[in-house]
Amino acid sequence: MEPNRKQDSNRLATFVWVLALILIWELGATLVAQTKRTPENVLPHLYQIVESVFSTKLVNGSQTAFQIVLANAGITLARAGIGFMLGAAIGFLLALLMNLMKTVEKIAFPYLMIIQMIPILGMAPIVLAVTKDIDKSRVIIAAILTFYPVATNTLAGFKAVPGEKLELMHVIAASKFEIYRKLLIPSCIPYFFTGLKVSAPMAITASILVDTLQGGGGLGTMLSQSLKHAMTIYVFWQIVFLSAIVGILSYHLMSVIEKLAAPHRWARKVKLDEPAQLDEPA
Amino acid sequence: MSVFKRSSRDAMAGGPAVVLDANEPEIKVEHVSVRFDGKKGAAPVVALQDVSLDIRQGEFISLVGPSGCGKTTLLRTIADLQQPSSGRITVRGQTPREIRLQKKYGIVFQNPVLYDWRTVRRNVCMPMELKGVPKKTRTATVTEMLELVGLYHFGKKYPHELSGGMQQRVGIARALAIKPEILLMDEPFSALDEFTKEKLNEDLLKIWNKTNKTILFVTHNISEAVFLSDRVVVLSPHPGRVSAIVDITLPRPRGLAIKNTPEFGALVAKVRNSFEGV
Amino acid sequence: MNLRSSMNPPEEISVRIAATQQDVSNPEAPAADRRRFDAENLTTLLYPIVFGVLILILWQTQVLHRILGADTFTLPLPGRILTIIADNAPEILMNARATAIVALTGLLFGSMLGYLLGVIAAVFPKWGIGGLTVVSAFNAIPIIAVAPILNNLTKDFSRDADTRSMLAKILVVTLMTMVVMSINAYRGLTELKPYSEDLMKSYAARRTDVFFKLRVPNSVPFLFTALRVSVPGSVICALVSEYFAEYIVGVGRQIRENIVLAQYATAWAYILTACLMGILLYAILLAAEGSLLKGRR
Repeated sequence: MEPNRKQDSNRLATFVWVLALILIWELGATLVAQTKRTPENVLPHLYQIVESVFSTKLVNGSQTAFQIVLANAGITLARAGIGFMLGAAIGFLLALLMNLMKTVEKIAFPYLMIIQMIPILGMAPIVLAVTKDIDKSRVIIAAILTFYPVATNTLAGFKAVPGEKLELMHVIAASKFEIYRKLLIPSCIPYFFTGLKVSAPMAITASILVDTLQGGGGLGTMLSQSLKHAMTIYVFWQIVFLSAIVGILSYHLMSVIEKLAAPHRWARKVKLDEPAQLDEPA
Repeated sequence: MSVFKRSSRDAMAGGPAVVLDANEPEIKVEHVSVRFDGKKGAAPVVALQDVSLDIRQGEFISLVGPSGCGKTTLLRTIADLQQPSSGRITVRGQTPREIRLQKKYGIVFQNPVLYDWRTVRRNVCMPMELKGVPKKTRTATVTEMLELVGLYHFGKKYPHELSGGMQQRVGIARALAIKPEILLMDEPFSALDEFTKEKLNEDLLKIWNKTNKTILFVTHNISEAVFLSDRVVVLSPHPGRVSAIVDITLPRPRGLAIKNTPEFGALVAKVRNSFEGV
Repeated sequence: MNLRSSMNPPEEISVRIAATQQDVSNPEAPAADRRRFDAENLTTLLYPIVFGVLILILWQTQVLHRILGADTFTLPLPGRILTIIADNAPEILMNARATAIVALTGLLFGSMLGYLLGVIAAVFPKWGIGGLTVVSAFNAIPIIAVAPILNNLTKDFSRDADTRSMLAKILVVTLMTMVVMSINAYRGLTELKPYSEDLMKSYAARRTDVFFKLRVPNSVPFLFTALRVSVPGSVICALVSEYFAEYIVGVGRQIRENIVLAQYATAWAYILTACLMGILLYAILLAAEGSLLKGRR
């Protein structure tokens, strides 16, 4: 089958599945609406959630529900973003150091393995207790969650460079700096991005979770308050969907940046024995 | 398609499967063409164009040619892994599909395709399990086959513990285990080094001698084809077609020493010269 | 969304890293090199241990506190944490048991459901691939958003707050592990070695035979790839969903409750418990993988 047609049919299937999910949700919501006194607490209709986004009713005296969500999303996501970038930088540097120095690799490697096994998110409250600052905690937790997938993946990227390529560099007497700049760093970019793709949604989750620990601001705080009925429950539902959408988008954002950073991986393979098809402007 | 099916079913209904006339070829390829649809807008790729070929029972026949000449496509079409766009193939008076469903084909690919979760013995066993051969017979056949390819002592090993040449031997043992009538080999030794390849070439001839199968052997190595075959079929690319069939008149049994004879050199030259425009 | 790129992440990495680790203790090394490799092995073991001990010493001597600007109240000394664990062993064990039940039950159901989804997608690829694309999007949804929804949905399940909380928590873990397993199972069932399907066809094998003799065994390493993600993931999901659960039990909830009560040493005891649980489960997984995949490449 032609690749294009196949892609189209996959897209169609995806679309149908999304419709099916919506249908299931709506069936559930209808059922809940008939049996519960406050169905919006359990499972509101999707249109009710959409409606609440555009509602102009002021929820806390000065803001609508959606304005509250957006304002708090800014706080949470900015911290998640800072932590994410910090973690990505530390992770990359650690991988670089590990590859440069055997001793660093030996010291850090077992801890990188162990950190994968332990529940960092569960440590969020204690980080808050030690730092006593909600902003710092958000950044730190997001950074820790980002740094180890990035470090392990980038290190794997360095290790995956074929020996022949390294030997070629040695034969032409390239300096260590040149080897890293021209060979090792470009080859580990896809691995680096694999790490970023894993950790981007995690950084957001972490930031929201840290919010719930203290009453400052942020999506997590609003989520808990809304659940405790301190404000309309639709704030909760909006946050649920917003965090899901942002989580998915963060993953795709990394893919887009990867395409910009390493365009050669996405170029279509040209076969030698096929007649060349040039993309001529029409 | 349906026409072939009906006629062969009639043949099967008419008592014991087709008895081959001694002069009747075992595999008849008649005016076979295979076209692959190109990408959107591009012209279809013609892999085989009007190929006709008769293969006798017990014959060792090689298909040689550069990449893109359709030699693998021809083998795959005979194996019923690929359908011809036009023309027809008859094997023992039946369609390739019927022969395949009767499990009369043994096939060996370039890649040994061993199941890495099974030991050597259990790998050889696999096709017999699918055929429903009773366990006792299976064990005996596996031993027999491994002895035939010289791997009896490696039965308990896993594929990754073997060298490339040994893995390919396991592949051959597995193909022979269901006692196929026809052995199809698609560049089976092309990934191996020259020494291993020559050793396996010699062994393959011994196995062929003992089992008396028809072997269709695809290779891009002229010397290998000449050494092994009764006839070498030379295919040319764009579009794939038969450009010559060279009879290999060298005496049998053949040993590697035959490669040093002038007759061998002359036949290699004859095959090489029959390539068109390559 | 590209299915393959959406699910490759840490697994292929850990495999690669395992391979680089093996290089250090290459068993085929010539005898003359043996001694050098022994020295290599020794430092591989020694360096991280020395590092760990050093951190512990800095911690116990409160140098670490000065660096982090913390006090012994929020960051208690290691000795104190161990004393607390010893003193509260029965209670800690009770909470660890609750968390383990949630994590493991969810892991079991989630992985089984996920494998089933993978099978369905492999048998009906036309609709299955699209379905898996949707499922893999679930991967990016924060647990925090899912946990409260499931809490609300399970309100009517039982009169007993413990039971219905347990169900909600298990469902969170199930959902997460299901997603990971379904995508890996699909890959394991469909990413076959080149020619292996042709070979099966040449044997005139039935579809069920191809499935059970080729696809299912082929998927086993992928199953472990999924588990390497979902075993630590199930513990994390269990801890976080405990935060939102109605009934107060579990290691995660105890961490939070003790911090609210300013009992930091106790909170640290539970953190240590959580880490040990994660490491223990992962070690069990690695042992199982080692023995089950023995003989494979």
